[in-house]
Amino acid sequence: MNLVGTLYVTALAGCAVAALAALTAPARARLPLTGWCTAVAGAVGAAAGVAALSGGVSAGVSAGVSPGGPAGGSGPSWSAWLPDLLPLAGVRLAIDPLGGVFVAVTGLVTVCAAIYGIGYCAHGLDGRLFQAVLPLFVAALLLVPAAASVSTFLLTWELMAVTSLLLVLAEHRRRAEVGRAGLWYAVMTHLGLVAILAGLVAFAAGAAGESFAELRAAELPPGAATVVFLATAAGFASKAGIVPLHVWLPRAHPEAPSHVSALMSAAMVNLGAYGIIRVGLDLLGGGPAWWWLLVLAAGALSALYGILQAAVTSDLKRLLGYSTTENLGLVLVGVGAAGFFAVSDLPVPAALALAAALLHVVNHAAFKTVLFLSAGSVLHATGTRDLDALGGLRTRLPYTTAVFAVGALCASALPPGNAFVSEWLLLQSLIHALPGAGVAGAVTMPLAVGVIALSAGLAVATFVKAFGVGFLARPRSAEAEAARESPPPMLAAMTFAAVGCVVLALAPTLVVPALGRAVGVVFPGRDVVSGELTLRLAGVSGMISPLLIAAALVIAVVAVLGLVRLTAARRARRAARLWDCGAGPMSARMEYTATSFAEPLQRVFDDVLAPESDVDVTPMKESAYLVERVRFQARVPDRIEHRLYDPLIAAAAAVGNRARALATGSVHRYLGYGFWALTGALLVLVALW
Amino acid sequence: MVTGTVGAVLQVLLIAVGSPLLVGVMRQVRARLEGRAGAGIAQPWRDLRKLLRKQAISPHGTGWVFRLAPLLLAGTALVAAAVVPLVTTASPLDGVADLFAVTALLALGSVALALGALDTGTAFGGMGASREMTVLALVEPTILVSVFALSIRVGSTSLGSIVTATARDPLSVISPVSALAAVALAIVTIAETGRIPVDNPSTHLELTMIHEAMVLEYAGPDLALIEWASAMRLSVLLGLLASLFFPLGIAGADAGVLGLAAAVIAIVVKVALLGVLLAAGEVFMAKLRLFRVPELLAGSFLLALLAVAASFFLA
Amino acid sequence: MTDALYVQALYLACGAFLLTGVLVLWRRELSAIVRLFTLQGVALTALVVVLGLWQGELELVLVGAGVGALRAGLLPYLMRRALVAGGAGRETQPLVNVATSLLVAAVLAMLAYAVSQPLIRLSPTPATQAVPVALTVLLIGFFVLVTRKRALSHVVGFLLMDNAITAAAFLTTSGVPLVVELGISLDVLLAVLVLQVLTTRMRAAFGGTDLDELRELHD
Repeated sequence: MNLVGTLYVTALAGCAVAALAALTAPARARLPLTGWCTAVAGAVGAAAGVAALSGGVSAGVSAGVSPGGPAGGSGPSWSAWLPDLLPLAGVRLAIDPLGGVFVAVTGLVTVCAAIYGIGYCAHGLDGRLFQAVLPLFVAALLLVPAAASVSTFLLTWELMAVTSLLLVLAEHRRRAEVGRAGLWYAVMTHLGLVAILAGLVAFAAGAAGESFAELRAAELPPGAATVVFLATAAGFASKAGIVPLHVWLPRAHPEAPSHVSALMSAAMVNLGAYGIIRVGLDLLGGGPAWWWLLVLAAGALSALYGILQAAVTSDLKRLLGYSTTENLGLVLVGVGAAGFFAVSDLPVPAALALAAALLHVVNHAAFKTVLFLSAGSVLHATGTRDLDALGGLRTRLPYTTAVFAVGALCASALPPGNAFVSEWLLLQSLIHALPGAGVAGAVTMPLAVGVIALSAGLAVATFVKAFGVGFLARPRSAEAEAARESPPPMLAAMTFAAVGCVVLALAPTLVVPALGRAVGVVFPGRDVVSGELTLRLAGVSGMISPLLIAAALVIAVVAVLGLVRLTAARRARRAARLWDCGAGPMSARMEYTATSFAEPLQRVFDDVLAPESDVDVTPMKESAYLVERVRFQARVPDRIEHRLYDPLIAAAAAVGNRARALATGSVHRYLGYGFWALTGALLVLVALW
Repeated sequence: MVTGTVGAVLQVLLIAVGSPLLVGVMRQVRARLEGRAGAGIAQPWRDLRKLLRKQAISPHGTGWVFRLAPLLLAGTALVAAAVVPLVTTASPLDGVADLFAVTALLALGSVALALGALDTGTAFGGMGASREMTVLALVEPTILVSVFALSIRVGSTSLGSIVTATARDPLSVISPVSALAAVALAIVTIAETGRIPVDNPSTHLELTMIHEAMVLEYAGPDLALIEWASAMRLSVLLGLLASLFFPLGIAGADAGVLGLAAAVIAIVVKVALLGVLLAAGEVFMAKLRLFRVPELLAGSFLLALLAVAASFFLA
Repeated sequence: MTDALYVQALYLACGAFLLTGVLVLWRRELSAIVRLFTLQGVALTALVVVLGLWQGELELVLVGAGVGALRAGLLPYLMRRALVAGGAGRETQPLVNVATSLLVAAVLAMLAYAVSQPLIRLSPTPATQAVPVALTVLLIGFFVLVTRKRALSHVVGFLLMDNAITAAAFLTTSGVPLVVELGISLDVLLAVLVLQVLTTRMRAAFGGTDLDELRELHD
């Protein structure tokens, strides 16, 4: 077994040990033991991913027969076939650079989430089951990108779905919404699984076997390929939270414990994008242009819709959930563009777009970990996620505030943040495609640029709101007033994630060439970028240096500070009263809230969001002209859910109600149904064959 | 390289010293057109000097964000001034940041100021920040799509190469692509710098203001910094417009001392002209209602998109 | 006239033609809309004259002058008279708000571009390259017709379509025969006169020119 394999197997073993420790260890040692074991497993897993990325030579030593040679230039860094582990098909694993990216991301997110969990779970989440399921979830997340056959993939996918569902439901006794969120999640994820299952099974039926190598070699007829692609893409899109299949995401993410939210949002949803890349670009090897334009359109729609909803919501974790939809949308814009360019015979922009998508996966994972963990810290300290009730945390939670600031800067795609780099790369790929992309490209690319720009602009507004209203100014509730900083493990994990963000933001030149190798799995034989200090695109002109921009910014700020010190009057700062319109003293109720901050945007996008408001005036008994109470209620429902899912659910409920007449309570009748169904099926068989 | 470095230093100094004068010129033009005598061109500098001599004030309940915001605003404006080709196209920082990065840097400055405003916790601060962010979000698509339009001809978003290409072939500006992109970017510039009809820089009435509402709590040196930085942003953006669409006289990589001197004079004249034009236009216009601003920005987005479209159907 | 100059002049005229069309969508003041329509007539005239000069055909230049007289002179004059005659001077409540209609126009421009590609491929000359501009204005005119409420905006929408059709004809085939052009122009003039009469009658009957009030006739 080579380095990648050793590390990877160690990581899986670490997860198993952590799960065992959770089940057996005494209550006091359970949290630290499980947490550290999982963290170490995550770190080792990340190392395995990085090793796979840094281009280990294919040295496939497997427990059984050596697997079929992969297509294309770059083979898997490690592969294994364990025929005896499962009946019939056996388990087939392989890590190539593309899977390595996702393994590495999962590993690093796990390190943060696991360490964070040691502090976060101390109150009420330290039960055996929850602690044992978390490492299993991590193991599933590590297994999915390494699965190399249909059966293994589906099995690990389902393991991931079930374990994550259990984790989402962890706090179901405390809040009723958790149960509802869990129900939505369970239904959506299993519908997604059914779609993927149908697609992949159809694919395997059309190929010589079910291992990915055989699928890659298969030549499907175009119609069948389209069916396979659409079915799997729908399933993967629902996992990635793509509109209109996103409805579970803004429910499940807020209700799950925060480190689980981080794992789901930063590691699990990525696998949706992974699935589309793996099946669409790698296994099916491209396809007609409209597949990819469809992916691009779905991504663009999600990016806009997600960030619009995030901009108007005032629930901190729901906001982050919608932001996940936005970012995965941007990733899919990149993936769709890559597929489209590849079909249009534009290899350079195609590689660039895919690299941008992968970089955005990595960047999103980094800043979303930071944001969810610090949101969890806020929740831990104040017990509320409602931005309208927060504020003034700057003095009470200084570390959390600083860390959230880093995350928010990164998420709003401004320099010197990391999302800026990936969105820049994405824009470059779209711009450089233009002369050769034909009519469809010429129409799509400007619109795509516009969508990316609008979603970036709205992201800025969203995160200014989240940070400015949630953390600055003064507390808007007693809970926020009494907030205390979180315990050290949580702070350490958050800091670690923030450092990751900073590294990604300043030194993308370390990461992007490695991602270029992952791109090479799909589009072999191309370098994407070069340069140490400056990110220089290969093949087309374009460069940028985040490090030097940050340095110039620091120099400029220091220079300005020096200038002010030199020229301004040297008198100590004086504290003074704020301008309170003369009606002071200013109280927290006079502050702008998150809702009021988002009001202009809500009004501008009135037609899209369709907000609902409700004024309820109760007059006095004596006279209709004297008002006793005015109740005003405004909310922005998820319009897609409202329009698309409510009718579906109502229809299903109606069918269910109708079918009630069939169930009278008589056991004979039930048995009779079974009997008639069986004989009916036999009759059909006789008649048809 | 030497020319480039000297040019970059020159243009930073020029912006730093000259931008308050530009504001002075614009105010003077307005005053004269409105039949007032005006305070003179150097008045903004006198204001800055006065503000710098005052004691710095921290309102109750504000913290590091409030203190850092003016510094960051001025810092981003200075970096942008060093990168944008105003005097020379061969700035050594040209490869560091392209047109996307410059606009994002300026947006970072706005964000810093909005956070500083939110940190005060007053209703004014929140109101200003909220409106500023709304405008910023809606401006973004226009900027990026017009950048797209401008970059098609050159095949790059690097400011240096776009301006160099235009300087080499000045007549190429007289095309629908450039005209549409120029109008779109001009509208964006007006929105970003908070001029009429998007925002009124000389109002202090709570219902109408955006930028002034955000800076309401700043005083003394902090306010001086903000005023100075706003002036610099205005001149950088006007200079950028001038260089992108009328790069006459800009110094290339091999220009000598004379070339640089000519370039300095050229950019001063061009920016002053644009400023006078803007100020004169403001006299004849009223501020738009806040919720009419999206219309203006949607229109500018349409123009930018048409510029891109025109670049492939009329090229 | 050199090649490059011809192309530049032609495209500038096309750009102005497109821009005025878009601005009609943008402005609410009816007087501004009429002024924009006048400018569009001027742009159309310039376009035809440039084509005529390039091909060295005096006839085409004369047709251009005629087009200009009708579309930048007579029609705007008639409309201005209708405007002065009364009623509200603003398009207050279009069915689709202005910001959205501008975005729709953006999509229409893209659609026009995509649709006209096969046409351009037939004979890729500088003039046919500009056909998408005419098509965009056509679609915008139709959109104005669909979404605006004032009778005068309807007239302008209709005339935008007509301008666009004329422009497309000149760009693709360097002009329809003179007789046909004259016929069409007379038709248009007639239509405008009829609409003007209608507007006057409407104002007399309803006191306004909101076309939605015509619905009352149905009941």
